[in-house]
Amino acid sequence: MSDADAAIRLIGVSKRFDSVDALGDISLTVHPGEFFTLLGPSGSGKTTLLRIIAGLELPTTGEVIVERGTAAQARRAKLLAWVPQSPGLLPWRTVAANVQLLTQVNRSANRPDPVDTAALLQRVGLAGFEKALPHQLSGGMQQRVALVRAFALGAPILLMDEPFAALDEITRFEMRHLLVDLWQSSGAAVVFVTHSLDEAAYLSDRVAVLTSRPGRISSVHDITSPRPRVPALEDTPEFFAAVTSLRDSLRVAMAPGQP
Amino acid sequence: MKARSVLAPVIGVAVFFGLWEVLVRVGHVPKYALRPPSQILRYLFNDSTGFPKATLQTGTDALEALLIALAIGLAFGSLMAASRWFEEAAQPVLILIQVTPWVAYSASVVLWIGGGSKPVLFVATLVCVPIFAFASMTGLRSADPASVELLRAVNASPWETMWRLRLPNALPYLFTAARFAVGLSLAAVYFTEGGALTNRGLGAIGAKANAATAALPLWSTVLCSALLGAIALTTIGVLERVLLHWHASQRRAAR
Repeated sequence: MSDADAAIRLIGVSKRFDSVDALGDISLTVHPGEFFTLLGPSGSGKTTLLRIIAGLELPTTGEVIVERGTAAQARRAKLLAWVPQSPGLLPWRTVAANVQLLTQVNRSANRPDPVDTAALLQRVGLAGFEKALPHQLSGGMQQRVALVRAFALGAPILLMDEPFAALDEITRFEMRHLLVDLWQSSGAAVVFVTHSLDEAAYLSDRVAVLTSRPGRISSVHDITSPRPRVPALEDTPEFFAAVTSLRDSLRVAMAPGQP
Repeated sequence: MKARSVLAPVIGVAVFFGLWEVLVRVGHVPKYALRPPSQILRYLFNDSTGFPKATLQTGTDALEALLIALAIGLAFGSLMAASRWFEEAAQPVLILIQVTPWVAYSASVVLWIGGGSKPVLFVATLVCVPIFAFASMTGLRSADPASVELLRAVNASPWETMWRLRLPNALPYLFTAARFAVGLSLAAVYFTEGGALTNRGLGAIGAKANAATAALPLWSTVLCSALLGAIALTTIGVLERVLLHWHASQRRAAR
């Protein structure tokens, strides 16, 4: 695949906040339909990088190309769906209305064929909760609504900022299986930020391991487990091998003196 | 609604009036200073004239002032929430309006604008604007940052973000502000009516009664003002329950 067809290309991107180097010289390519994970310790600038791709932050140096245009153009054309760390649901809106939120703004950029949100809600086990308000849902259910809200946009790129970080271990386990299921039928490219080795190994096609302050790409791993991925994968030796190799790389990335 | 939530306030008010009645009768309070509520009510229902009309006048003026202050306050609050520069420029003026004793200058306003409803509306609106301005600034600004980013990421316009996110988020703050503003607006209307050189409203009756140390008409205007305030606060309470049913302040655990 040539780089011109890439979903996202970053060329020499760096970011400086006042006197702090947050990101240093990041170049990477995310292909259409690819599940790409940014793995790193806190302070590695993962979220900053995601915000730069979303056009929510400008890089200090370097170039960002999203779907052959700038990040700002992608934002205007609603090519990016953002999943924040906290669900960010509007407490006065029902589940069904929250899921519609992103299609109700900047309407002229909506896809011509709307996504069937009722079917999506059913797939994540929220059928019957359409009229519920966010405060009536558990944390896991709220984050499922946030996922459906993102997929409801029908965008070719999804940007997820540690979406499961605030959930308990059992719920996180469920959520990554659910996410793989939703993503596999959407055809979208995903950039997923996490510090969970299990999530990275289960979900990704490729994982970039970042160093901290400034965040640089220390290594990139291909996760070759076959698709479709099913929960049983997490009990296989190849999954353990992938987790172990990611852990080793993370150790290398966090070692002092790492460039 | 449970029987308790109707009965409890009725009992509370009855006990208050009962104590008032007893204290005035037992305590030998001078007739020209305070009357027991039974006498005031009898006066209101039998001997008085013009109280319904005056109450309506005062109520209308106070409500108009509240609505205009809400509109101006929202406009100021939006600009302040959007621009630190505007906030810093507007804040001292708003604080000045808030802390200045309006009682002191209301007569000057009448001399300046003239009599009638105009000075009444002016003073009452002016004193209520800061409350709504600060409440809307805080409410608009405190929208969940995650939701703000979410909307930015799909390039929602400032107007869309305002309408779909910031304004609903400001509602609880505005309701709290309205509760404070009701009393202030009524007081400002009443007092300015007293000096507005016309025979309009409860304040005009009260001012005349004050000059003549006539306790019955004076306290009748007090009761009528209190009734207006009670109606306003009940209405706000009902609106809150309907519009803020999603908000933590309105949710009740089953008891």
